[in-house]
Amino acid sequence: MSSVHHWYESNLVGEDETADISNINFGSVDEPNIVPSAHLISRGQNSFSKYIRCKFTGTWTEILNMKLWKSAGEYVAGETIKAAANVAYDTPSQVGTGDGNIPIVEGSALHIHSAEGLDTIVYGDTGVTGYTTYIRLQEQTTGSTPAGAVASKTFLFQYDES
Amino acid sequence: MSNTIDQNIGGDNPISNLVFHWIAIFNDGKIEQFENGKEHLFKEVRDRMNDLVYFNLTDRKGHLFTVNLQNGLIGYNRLEFPYIETDEKKENIRLIFFRRHRIELGTNNLEEKSHTIAYHLGCQYNDEYNHNHKIILEIDSEGNWILRS
Repeated sequence: MSSVHHWYESNLVGEDETADISNINFGSVDEPNIVPSAHLISRGQNSFSKYIRCKFTGTWTEILNMKLWKSAGEYVAGETIKAAANVAYDTPSQVGTGDGNIPIVEGSALHIHSAEGLDTIVYGDTGVTGYTTYIRLQEQTTGSTPAGAVASKTFLFQYDES
Repeated sequence: MSNTIDQNIGGDNPISNLVFHWIAIFNDGKIEQFENGKEHLFKEVRDRMNDLVYFNLTDRKGHLFTVNLQNGLIGYNRLEFPYIETDEKKENIRLIFFRRHRIELGTNNLEEKSHTIAYHLGCQYNDEYNHNHKIILEIDSEGNWILRS
């Protein structure tokens, strides 16, 4: 077999972790697998920040070149998604994260490290957990953002494995 | 050692979820990625690079890609002659092999988006001026490939 990836999201002050999340929808609540229509973001407000990370199980020799970028999904007026990689967990909130816009091409993609702070995840090495560091995401709107649903977004997560 | 290939490529191996599997031919034997229900990690190849003669990548459909670590040539489907060749003098020939995963994550659904694996196979070497060169095939799960260098 090869590596198998699992996405986790952490929430609340206790860094409560949910494994194998089914979506990364943004909303006005700090919880995983949000139903957007039930947790609308008011115009001019931000979503709760999201802290997600990947965990690799299975077998491999080395995983490296882990990258993330937004590959599809148009913004509406005043809408942006902010992102940062390799951040420490903090209790999610609707306060602006101060992060930059999520990259939209591979060339400027976010480079993701292992939880141990390395560029690589080596199978079986002492202390290796298989986790990446946290990726922080937040959807931000302005007063010019139109009412209604926004377009779905697609993110690409890429890594090399031997 | 000749570059003989077993057809027992692990295709029925229940622990394999990969389309392509590697077979490493050393100057004193070989290791198949999947043998008798056991997986060998690529680390076992990496640790013996100096003894590596051929590195093959093959699937159940009969595609076979070969890197000859003695002359830096890449073969395709058992052709006797190198499929991709350069006239340069090659020194310090080193294997390149990794799988590139691309996983699409959607805001609405993480599970229904795509997960593709491209196999990157080739070698790098130094020319007579000690400049480094890479020749890499990017192979998709259907065996289609493009040359990247």
